[in-house]
Amino acid sequence: MRVVVDLNRCQAYAQCCYAAPERFVLQGDEILAYDPAPPAAERAAIDRAVQACPVRAIRVEHDETAERAA
Amino acid sequence: MTDTDGTLFAQVRDPENRADPYPLYTRLRAQPVARQDDGTWVASGYAAIRALLHDPRVSSEDLPPAEHPATGNPIKDFFVNPIKDWITDRHRPFIFRDPPDHGLLRRQVMGQFTVARVRGMKRRTEALVDECLRARAGATRFDLVDDLAYPLPVTVICEMLGVPREDEARFHAWATQLATALEPESRNDEDLRARNTETFDAIAAYMRDLIREKRRAPADDMLSGLATTKDAQAGRMSDPDLVATAILLLIAGHETTVNLITNGMLTLLRHPDELARLRADPERAPRVIEELLRYEPPVHFRTRLTRAPIPVGDVTIPEGVPLVLLFAAGNRDPARFPDPDRFDPDREDNQHFGFGGALHYCVGAPLARIEAEAALTALVARLREPRLVEDPPPYRAGASLRGPERLLLDIRGIA
Repeated sequence: MRVVVDLNRCQAYAQCCYAAPERFVLQGDEILAYDPAPPAAERAAIDRAVQACPVRAIRVEHDETAERAA
Repeated sequence: MTDTDGTLFAQVRDPENRADPYPLYTRLRAQPVARQDDGTWVASGYAAIRALLHDPRVSSEDLPPAEHPATGNPIKDFFVNPIKDWITDRHRPFIFRDPPDHGLLRRQVMGQFTVARVRGMKRRTEALVDECLRARAGATRFDLVDDLAYPLPVTVICEMLGVPREDEARFHAWATQLATALEPESRNDEDLRARNTETFDAIAAYMRDLIREKRRAPADDMLSGLATTKDAQAGRMSDPDLVATAILLLIAGHETTVNLITNGMLTLLRHPDELARLRADPERAPRVIEELLRYEPPVHFRTRLTRAPIPVGDVTIPEGVPLVLLFAAGNRDPARFPDPDRFDPDREDNQHFGFGGALHYCVGAPLARIEAEAALTALVARLREPRLVEDPPPYRAGASLRGPERLLLDIRGIA
Protein backbone atom coordinates (compact mmCIF):
# COMPACT_ATOMS: atom_id res chain seq x y z
CA MET A 1 0.00 0.00 0.00
CA ARG A 2 1.38 3.38 -1.02
CA VAL A 3 0.13 6.61 0.55
CA VAL A 4 0.59 9.99 -1.12
CA VAL A 5 -0.50 13.25 0.49
CA ASP A 6 -0.81 16.33 -1.67
CA LEU A 7 0.90 18.72 0.73
CA ASN A 8 -0.10 21.75 -1.34
CA ARG A 9 -3.68 20.81 -0.73
CA CYS A 10 -3.25 19.82 2.96
CA GLN A 11 -4.53 22.51 5.32
CA ALA A 12 -3.51 20.79 8.55
CA TYR A 13 -7.03 19.94 9.69
CA ALA A 14 -5.35 16.95 11.39
CA GLN A 15 -8.29 14.62 10.86
CA CYS A 16 -5.95 11.91 9.51
CA CYS A 17 -3.93 12.08 12.74
CA TYR A 18 -6.98 11.01 14.72
CA ALA A 19 -7.94 8.34 12.19
CA ALA A 20 -4.52 6.69 11.86
CA PRO A 21 -2.24 8.15 14.55
CA GLU A 22 0.54 5.65 13.86
CA ARG A 23 0.88 6.86 10.26
CA PHE A 24 0.03 10.58 10.28
CA VAL A 25 1.52 13.11 12.69
CA LEU A 26 1.22 16.87 12.66
CA GLN A 27 4.53 18.50 13.55
CA GLY A 28 4.08 21.94 15.03
CA ASP A 29 0.88 23.54 13.82
CA GLU A 30 0.96 22.72 10.15
CA ILE A 31 3.59 20.31 8.90
CA LEU A 32 2.24 16.85 8.23
CA ALA A 33 4.57 13.87 8.49
CA TYR A 34 3.26 10.55 7.24
CA ASP A 35 4.27 7.00 6.43
CA PRO A 36 4.25 6.57 2.64
CA ALA A 37 4.27 2.76 2.90
CA PRO A 38 2.08 1.59 5.79
CA PRO A 39 1.56 -2.13 6.39
CA ALA A 40 -1.41 -3.69 4.59
CA ALA A 41 -2.94 -4.62 7.94
CA GLU A 42 -3.69 -0.94 8.55
CA ARG A 43 -5.83 -0.58 5.49
CA ALA A 44 -8.98 0.23 7.48
CA ALA A 45 -7.28 2.97 9.50
CA ILE A 46 -5.73 4.48 6.37
CA ASP A 47 -9.12 4.41 4.64
CA ARG A 48 -10.59 6.28 7.62
CA ALA A 49 -7.89 8.92 7.18
CA VAL A 50 -8.63 9.22 3.45
CA GLN A 51 -12.36 9.61 4.09
CA ALA A 52 -11.96 12.03 7.00
CA CYS A 53 -9.68 14.48 5.16
CA PRO A 54 -11.79 17.65 4.66
CA VAL A 55 -9.81 18.59 1.52
CA ARG A 56 -9.30 15.07 0.19
CA ALA A 57 -5.53 15.41 0.03
CA ILE A 58 -4.72 11.74 0.74
CA ARG A 59 -4.45 9.15 -2.01
CA VAL A 60 -3.84 5.43 -1.56
CA GLU A 61 -2.51 3.05 -4.16
CA HIS A 62 -2.99 -0.59 -3.39
CA ASP A 63 -0.37 -2.93 -4.77
CA GLU A 64 -2.41 -6.14 -4.82
CA THR A 65 0.52 -8.35 -5.85
CA ALA A 66 2.76 -7.14 -3.06
CA GLU A 67 -0.06 -7.45 -0.54
CA ARG A 68 -0.78 -11.04 -1.55
CA ALA A 69 2.93 -11.86 -1.24
CA ALA A 70 3.01 -10.25 2.21
CA MET B 1 -33.98 32.44 -13.97
CA THR B 2 -33.16 34.14 -10.69
CA ASP B 3 -35.57 33.49 -7.86
CA THR B 4 -36.28 36.89 -6.35
CA ASP B 5 -38.34 35.68 -3.38
CA GLY B 6 -36.67 37.45 -0.45
CA THR B 7 -38.43 35.31 2.14
CA LEU B 8 -36.83 32.00 1.27
CA PHE B 9 -34.63 31.94 4.36
CA ALA B 10 -37.60 32.89 6.55
CA GLN B 11 -39.35 29.88 5.04
CA VAL B 12 -36.32 27.72 5.88
CA ARG B 13 -36.76 28.72 9.52
CA ASP B 14 -40.50 27.96 9.46
CA PRO B 15 -41.05 24.66 11.34
CA GLU B 16 -43.48 23.65 8.56
CA ASN B 17 -40.46 23.12 6.31
CA ARG B 18 -38.24 21.38 8.85
CA ALA B 19 -38.70 17.86 7.48
CA ASP B 20 -37.60 18.84 3.98
CA PRO B 21 -35.89 22.21 3.55
CA TYR B 22 -34.00 21.02 0.46
CA PRO B 23 -36.41 22.36 -2.20
CA LEU B 24 -36.00 25.80 -0.58
CA TYR B 25 -32.22 25.39 -0.73
CA THR B 26 -32.47 24.65 -4.45
CA ARG B 27 -34.41 27.87 -4.96
CA LEU B 28 -31.92 29.84 -2.84
CA ARG B 29 -28.97 28.51 -4.86
CA ALA B 30 -30.41 30.10 -8.02
CA GLN B 31 -28.71 33.17 -6.53
CA PRO B 32 -25.68 31.73 -4.68
CA VAL B 33 -25.45 34.84 -2.48
CA ALA B 34 -28.81 36.53 -1.96
CA ARG B 35 -30.17 39.39 0.10
CA GLN B 36 -33.32 38.57 2.02
CA ASP B 37 -36.12 41.08 2.63
CA ASP B 38 -35.07 41.45 6.27
CA GLY B 39 -31.54 42.57 5.37
CA THR B 40 -29.88 39.25 6.04
CA TRP B 41 -27.60 37.84 3.33
CA VAL B 42 -27.59 34.12 2.63
CA ALA B 43 -24.77 32.21 0.93
CA SER B 44 -26.09 28.91 -0.42
CA GLY B 45 -23.77 28.08 -3.34
CA TYR B 46 -20.78 25.83 -2.64
CA ALA B 47 -18.11 28.10 -4.12
CA ALA B 48 -19.47 31.19 -2.35
CA ILE B 49 -19.66 29.47 1.04
CA ARG B 50 -16.14 28.17 0.64
CA ALA B 51 -14.76 31.59 -0.27
CA LEU B 52 -16.59 33.29 2.61
CA LEU B 53 -15.46 30.67 5.14
CA HIS B 54 -11.87 31.60 4.35
CA ASP B 55 -12.46 35.37 4.11
CA PRO B 56 -10.96 37.37 7.02
CA ARG B 57 -13.57 40.10 6.45
CA VAL B 58 -16.22 37.63 7.62
CA SER B 59 -16.45 37.76 11.41
CA SER B 60 -17.76 35.21 13.89
CA GLU B 61 -18.27 37.94 16.48
CA ASP B 62 -21.85 38.44 15.43
CA LEU B 63 -23.32 38.82 18.88
CA PRO B 64 -24.39 42.40 19.56
CA PRO B 65 -23.79 44.00 22.95
CA ALA B 66 -26.49 43.19 25.45
CA GLU B 67 -27.93 46.68 25.51
CA HIS B 68 -28.43 46.58 21.76
CA PRO B 69 -32.09 47.38 21.01
CA ALA B 70 -34.26 45.07 18.93
CA THR B 71 -33.01 45.43 15.37
CA GLY B 72 -36.06 44.32 13.46
CA ASN B 73 -33.67 41.79 11.97
CA PRO B 74 -34.90 38.26 12.48
CA ILE B 75 -31.44 36.71 12.58
CA LYS B 76 -30.34 38.94 15.41
CA ASP B 77 -33.67 39.03 17.16
CA PHE B 78 -34.53 35.37 16.75
CA PHE B 79 -31.18 33.73 17.15
CA VAL B 80 -28.64 36.14 18.48
CA ASN B 81 -30.37 38.20 21.14
CA PRO B 82 -31.75 35.20 23.03
CA ILE B 83 -28.29 33.74 23.53
CA LYS B 84 -26.56 37.04 24.18
CA ASP B 85 -28.31 37.22 27.52
CA TRP B 86 -26.22 34.42 28.83
CA ILE B 87 -23.09 34.79 26.75
CA THR B 88 -22.28 38.33 25.66
CA ASP B 89 -22.15 39.94 29.05
CA ARG B 90 -20.09 37.12 30.37
CA HIS B 91 -17.43 35.62 28.16
CA ARG B 92 -17.83 34.58 24.56
CA PRO B 93 -16.76 31.06 23.79
CA PHE B 94 -14.29 30.80 20.91
CA ILE B 95 -16.96 29.80 18.38
CA PHE B 96 -18.06 33.47 18.61
CA ARG B 97 -14.57 34.96 18.41
CA ASP B 98 -12.14 36.06 15.69
CA PRO B 99 -8.37 35.98 15.47
CA PRO B 100 -6.23 36.45 17.43
CA ASP B 101 -8.32 35.51 20.51
CA HIS B 102 -9.98 32.65 18.70
CA GLY B 103 -6.68 31.03 17.81
CA LEU B 104 -5.27 31.28 21.32
CA LEU B 105 -8.34 29.76 22.94
CA ARG B 106 -8.78 27.11 20.30
CA ARG B 107 -5.16 26.06 20.49
CA GLN B 108 -5.49 25.50 24.21
CA VAL B 109 -8.56 23.34 23.66
CA MET B 110 -6.84 21.37 20.90
CA GLY B 111 -3.93 20.84 23.29
CA GLN B 112 -6.35 18.90 25.50
CA PHE B 113 -8.35 17.31 22.69
CA THR B 114 -5.41 15.04 22.03
CA VAL B 115 -5.26 12.12 19.65
CA ALA B 116 -4.63 9.78 22.59
CA ARG B 117 -7.59 11.10 24.56
CA VAL B 118 -9.99 10.97 21.62
CA ARG B 119 -8.81 7.53 20.51
CA GLY B 120 -9.12 6.41 24.10
CA MET B 121 -12.87 7.08 23.88
CA LYS B 122 -13.36 4.64 20.99
CA ARG B 123 -13.70 1.46 23.03
CA ARG B 124 -15.54 3.30 25.74
CA THR B 125 -18.01 4.60 23.15
CA GLU B 126 -18.57 1.10 21.80
CA ALA B 127 -19.20 -0.16 25.33
CA LEU B 128 -21.69 2.66 25.96
CA VAL B 129 -23.56 1.83 22.74
CA ASP B 130 -23.68 -1.79 23.87
CA GLU B 131 -25.06 -0.69 27.27
CA CYS B 132 -27.81 1.36 25.60
CA LEU B 133 -28.83 -1.53 23.36
CA ARG B 134 -28.76 -4.11 26.16
CA ALA B 135 -30.96 -1.87 28.28
CA ARG B 136 -33.64 -2.26 25.60
CA ALA B 137 -33.14 -5.97 24.89
CA GLY B 138 -36.45 -7.63 24.08
CA ALA B 139 -38.09 -4.36 23.06
CA THR B 140 -40.31 -4.22 19.98
CA ARG B 141 -40.39 -0.43 19.86
CA PHE B 142 -37.21 1.64 19.94
CA ASP B 143 -36.87 5.44 20.14
CA LEU B 144 -33.47 6.04 18.66
CA VAL B 145 -33.26 9.53 20.19
CA ASP B 146 -34.10 8.66 23.80
CA ASP B 147 -32.69 5.16 23.80
CA LEU B 148 -29.30 5.90 22.24
CA ALA B 149 -28.59 9.04 20.22
CA TYR B 150 -29.17 11.44 23.13
CA PRO B 151 -27.65 9.61 26.11
CA LEU B 152 -24.49 8.51 24.26
CA PRO B 153 -22.96 11.91 23.42
CA VAL B 154 -23.72 13.41 26.84
CA THR B 155 -21.88 10.59 28.59
CA VAL B 156 -18.97 10.79 26.16
CA ILE B 157 -18.50 14.55 26.47
CA CYS B 158 -18.89 14.48 30.25
CA GLU B 159 -16.19 11.80 30.51
CA MET B 160 -13.90 13.74 28.16
CA LEU B 161 -14.35 16.92 30.17
CA GLY B 162 -14.11 15.16 33.51
CA VAL B 163 -17.61 15.75 34.82
CA PRO B 164 -18.37 13.19 37.55
CA ARG B 165 -20.81 10.54 36.41
CA GLU B 166 -23.31 11.36 39.16
CA ASP B 167 -23.68 14.88 37.72
CA GLU B 168 -24.42 13.75 34.16
CA ALA B 169 -28.17 13.93 34.55
CA ARG B 170 -27.93 17.59 35.58
CA PHE B 171 -25.72 18.28 32.56
CA HIS B 172 -28.18 16.61 30.28
CA ALA B 173 -30.95 18.86 31.58
CA TRP B 174 -28.79 22.01 31.38
CA ALA B 175 -27.69 21.31 27.81
CA THR B 176 -31.26 20.63 26.70
CA GLN B 177 -32.40 23.87 28.32
CA LEU B 178 -29.59 26.03 26.89
CA ALA B 179 -30.10 24.65 23.38
CA THR B 180 -33.58 26.21 23.39
CA ALA B 181 -31.90 29.64 23.37
CA LEU B 182 -31.11 29.01 19.70
CA GLU B 183 -34.78 28.56 18.83
CA PRO B 184 -36.88 31.38 17.37
CA GLU B 185 -39.58 30.76 19.98
CA SER B 186 -37.28 32.00 22.71
CA ARG B 187 -37.40 35.53 21.29
CA ASN B 188 -40.60 36.69 22.90
CA ASP B 189 -40.82 34.09 25.60
CA GLU B 190 -39.66 35.94 28.71
CA ASP B 191 -40.05 32.82 30.86
CA LEU B 192 -37.86 30.82 28.54
CA ARG B 193 -35.21 33.51 28.47
CA ALA B 194 -35.28 33.80 32.24
CA ARG B 195 -34.89 30.03 32.51
CA ASN B 196 -31.92 30.12 30.14
CA THR B 197 -30.22 32.83 32.16
CA GLU B 198 -30.85 30.86 35.35
CA THR B 199 -29.49 27.74 33.69
CA PHE B 200 -26.38 29.54 32.52
CA ASP B 201 -25.77 30.85 36.01
CA ALA B 202 -26.27 27.39 37.48
CA ILE B 203 -23.95 25.68 35.04
CA ALA B 204 -21.34 28.45 35.39
CA ALA B 205 -21.41 28.17 39.18
CA TYR B 206 -21.08 24.40 38.91
CA MET B 207 -18.18 24.75 36.47
CA ARG B 208 -16.35 27.23 38.70
CA ASP B 209 -16.54 24.75 41.57
CA LEU B 210 -15.48 21.87 39.36
CA ILE B 211 -12.53 23.86 37.99
CA ARG B 212 -11.41 24.67 41.53
CA GLU B 213 -11.62 20.98 42.34
CA LYS B 214 -9.64 20.06 39.20
CA ARG B 215 -6.91 22.52 40.15
CA ARG B 216 -6.74 21.03 43.65
CA ALA B 217 -6.67 17.43 42.40
CA PRO B 218 -6.02 17.28 38.64
CA ALA B 219 -7.19 14.14 36.84
CA ASP B 220 -6.60 12.89 33.30
CA ASP B 221 -9.39 14.88 31.67
CA MET B 222 -9.81 18.00 29.52
CA LEU B 223 -10.99 20.33 32.27
CA SER B 224 -8.04 19.44 34.49
CA GLY B 225 -5.74 20.04 31.54
CA LEU B 226 -7.31 23.38 30.64
CA ALA B 227 -7.34 24.51 34.26
CA THR B 228 -3.70 23.70 34.95
CA THR B 229 -1.83 24.10 31.65
CA LYS B 230 -0.02 27.34 30.86
CA ASP B 231 0.02 28.23 27.17
CA ALA B 232 3.40 29.62 26.01
CA GLN B 233 1.69 32.66 24.47
CA ALA B 234 -1.63 33.05 26.23
CA GLY B 235 -0.66 31.91 29.72
CA ARG B 236 -3.23 30.11 31.81
CA MET B 237 -6.81 30.35 30.55
CA SER B 238 -8.86 32.79 32.64
CA ASP B 239 -11.70 31.39 34.70
CA PRO B 240 -14.44 33.13 32.66
CA ASP B 241 -12.92 31.78 29.43
CA LEU B 242 -12.61 28.36 31.00
CA VAL B 243 -16.28 28.39 32.00
CA ALA B 244 -17.38 29.61 28.55
CA THR B 245 -15.22 26.98 26.85
CA ALA B 246 -16.50 24.16 29.03
CA ILE B 247 -20.12 25.13 28.34
CA LEU B 248 -19.45 25.39 24.60
CA LEU B 249 -17.85 21.94 24.51
CA LEU B 250 -20.69 20.46 26.49
CA ILE B 251 -23.42 21.85 24.23
CA ALA B 252 -21.55 21.35 20.97
CA GLY B 253 -20.58 17.81 21.90
CA HIS B 254 -24.12 16.97 22.67
CA GLU B 255 -26.70 18.75 20.54
CA THR B 256 -24.98 17.96 17.25
CA THR B 257 -23.93 14.34 17.57
CA VAL B 258 -27.47 13.35 18.44
CA ASN B 259 -28.51 14.70 15.02
CA LEU B 260 -25.72 12.93 13.16
CA ILE B 261 -26.73 9.57 14.64
CA THR B 262 -30.47 10.10 14.25
CA ASN B 263 -30.35 11.60 10.74
CA GLY B 264 -27.94 8.81 9.87
CA MET B 265 -30.24 5.98 10.86
CA LEU B 266 -33.21 7.75 9.27
CA THR B 267 -31.31 8.06 5.99
CA LEU B 268 -30.21 4.42 6.09
CA LEU B 269 -33.79 3.30 6.72
CA ARG B 270 -34.86 5.34 3.71
CA HIS B 271 -32.13 3.62 1.66
CA PRO B 272 -32.48 -0.04 2.66
CA ASP B 273 -29.90 -1.18 0.12
CA GLU B 274 -27.29 1.03 1.79
CA LEU B 275 -28.36 -0.18 5.23
CA ALA B 276 -27.86 -3.77 4.06
CA ARG B 277 -24.47 -2.97 2.58
CA LEU B 278 -23.29 -1.36 5.83
CA ARG B 279 -24.54 -4.36 7.80
CA ALA B 280 -22.63 -6.72 5.51
CA ASP B 281 -19.49 -4.58 5.51
CA PRO B 282 -18.95 -2.39 8.61
CA GLU B 283 -15.78 -1.02 6.99
CA ARG B 284 -18.05 1.05 4.76
CA ALA B 285 -18.92 3.14 7.84
CA PRO B 286 -16.39 5.96 7.22
CA ARG B 287 -17.77 6.48 3.68
CA VAL B 288 -21.34 6.30 4.90
CA ILE B 289 -20.65 8.85 7.63
CA GLU B 290 -18.91 11.36 5.34
CA GLU B 291 -21.81 11.10 2.89
CA LEU B 292 -24.28 11.62 5.76
CA LEU B 293 -22.37 14.74 6.74
CA ARG B 294 -22.95 16.01 3.20
CA TYR B 295 -26.46 14.74 2.63
CA GLU B 296 -28.08 15.32 6.06
CA PRO B 297 -25.65 17.42 8.12
CA PRO B 298 -26.31 17.98 11.85
CA VAL B 299 -25.76 21.74 11.52
CA HIS B 300 -27.46 23.36 8.53
CA PHE B 301 -26.09 26.88 8.86
CA ARG B 302 -24.02 29.27 10.94
CA THR B 303 -24.27 33.04 11.07
CA ARG B 304 -21.48 35.55 10.59
CA LEU B 305 -21.12 39.34 10.35
CA THR B 306 -19.39 41.19 7.50
CA ARG B 307 -16.63 43.58 8.57
CA ALA B 308 -16.22 45.14 5.08
CA PRO B 309 -17.98 45.07 1.71
CA ILE B 310 -17.26 41.70 0.11
CA PRO B 311 -17.65 41.08 -3.62
CA VAL B 312 -18.76 37.52 -4.39
CA GLY B 313 -19.46 36.65 -8.00
CA ASP B 314 -21.63 39.41 -9.41
CA VAL B 315 -22.86 40.80 -6.08
CA THR B 316 -21.25 42.71 -3.23
CA ILE B 317 -22.29 41.93 0.33
CA PRO B 318 -22.31 45.22 2.25
CA GLU B 319 -20.38 45.84 5.43
CA GLY B 320 -22.02 45.18 8.78
CA VAL B 321 -24.75 42.78 7.72
CA PRO B 322 -25.66 39.38 9.11
CA LEU B 323 -24.46 36.65 6.77
CA VAL B 324 -25.79 33.11 6.83
CA LEU B 325 -23.50 30.36 5.55
CA LEU B 326 -26.03 27.74 4.51
CA PHE B 327 -23.78 24.67 4.61
CA ALA B 328 -26.56 22.18 3.94
CA ALA B 329 -27.42 23.98 0.68
CA GLY B 330 -23.78 24.08 -0.45
CA ASN B 331 -23.63 20.35 0.24
CA ARG B 332 -26.36 19.83 -2.38
CA ASP B 333 -24.92 22.19 -5.00
CA PRO B 334 -25.00 20.40 -8.39
CA ALA B 335 -22.12 22.62 -9.56
CA ARG B 336 -19.93 20.86 -6.98
CA PHE B 337 -21.50 17.42 -6.43
CA PRO B 338 -22.83 15.34 -9.32
CA ASP B 339 -26.38 14.15 -8.67
CA PRO B 340 -26.35 15.94 -5.27
CA ASP B 341 -29.75 14.73 -4.05
CA ARG B 342 -28.63 11.12 -4.28
CA PHE B 343 -27.31 9.49 -1.09
CA ASP B 344 -24.19 7.79 -2.39
CA PRO B 345 -21.47 6.69 0.05
CA ASP B 346 -19.26 5.72 -2.91
CA ARG B 347 -19.06 9.35 -4.00
CA GLU B 348 -15.48 10.47 -4.58
CA ASP B 349 -14.03 13.87 -3.70
CA ASN B 350 -16.66 14.44 -1.02
CA GLN B 351 -15.48 17.80 0.37
CA HIS B 352 -18.62 18.58 2.32
CA PHE B 353 -19.35 21.34 4.84
CA GLY B 354 -20.68 18.87 7.42
CA PHE B 355 -18.18 20.16 9.99
CA GLY B 356 -17.99 23.71 8.60
CA GLY B 357 -14.50 24.66 7.49
CA ALA B 358 -11.48 26.94 7.79
CA LEU B 359 -10.56 28.34 11.24
CA HIS B 360 -13.77 27.23 12.92
CA TYR B 361 -13.78 23.67 11.58
CA CYS B 362 -15.54 21.51 14.17
CA VAL B 363 -13.15 20.73 17.04
CA GLY B 364 -15.13 17.61 17.90
CA ALA B 365 -15.18 16.13 14.39
CA PRO B 366 -12.97 13.11 15.25
CA LEU B 367 -15.10 12.35 18.30
CA ALA B 368 -18.32 12.72 16.32
CA ARG B 369 -17.01 10.26 13.72
CA ILE B 370 -16.16 7.73 16.44
CA GLU B 371 -19.58 8.07 18.06
CA ALA B 372 -21.47 7.89 14.75
CA GLU B 373 -19.52 4.85 13.61
CA ALA B 374 -20.01 2.98 16.88
CA ALA B 375 -23.73 3.80 16.94
CA LEU B 376 -24.62 3.17 13.30
CA THR B 377 -22.65 -0.06 12.87
CA ALA B 378 -24.19 -1.46 16.07
CA LEU B 379 -27.70 -0.35 15.12
CA VAL B 380 -27.66 -1.94 11.67
CA ALA B 381 -26.11 -5.12 13.06
CA ARG B 382 -28.32 -5.54 16.10
CA LEU B 383 -31.78 -4.08 15.51
CA ARG B 384 -33.86 -6.88 14.01
CA GLU B 385 -35.95 -5.77 11.01
CA PRO B 386 -36.16 -2.10 12.00
CA ARG B 387 -39.06 -0.20 10.42
CA LEU B 388 -39.81 3.52 10.64
CA VAL B 389 -43.04 4.14 12.52
CA GLU B 390 -43.41 7.71 11.19
CA ASP B 391 -41.80 9.15 8.09
CA PRO B 392 -41.05 12.00 8.26
CA PRO B 393 -40.54 11.91 12.03
CA PRO B 394 -41.37 14.95 14.19
CA TYR B 395 -38.47 17.41 14.27
CA ARG B 396 -37.06 19.54 17.05
CA ALA B 397 -37.62 23.25 16.56
CA GLY B 398 -34.11 24.16 15.42
CA ALA B 399 -33.52 25.04 11.77
CA SER B 400 -29.76 25.18 12.20
CA LEU B 401 -29.22 22.34 14.64
CA ARG B 402 -31.77 20.27 12.76
CA GLY B 403 -32.81 16.78 13.72
CA PRO B 404 -35.72 14.55 14.74
CA GLU B 405 -37.26 14.95 18.16
CA ARG B 406 -37.83 11.22 18.24
CA LEU B 407 -37.27 8.41 15.79
CA LEU B 408 -39.61 5.54 16.58
CA LEU B 409 -38.70 2.17 15.14
CA ASP B 410 -40.66 -1.05 15.20
CA ILE B 411 -38.22 -3.90 15.70
CA ARG B 412 -38.27 -7.63 16.27
CA GLY B 413 -35.90 -7.43 19.20
CA ILE B 414 -32.27 -6.51 19.64
CA ALA B 415 -29.47 -8.99 19.06
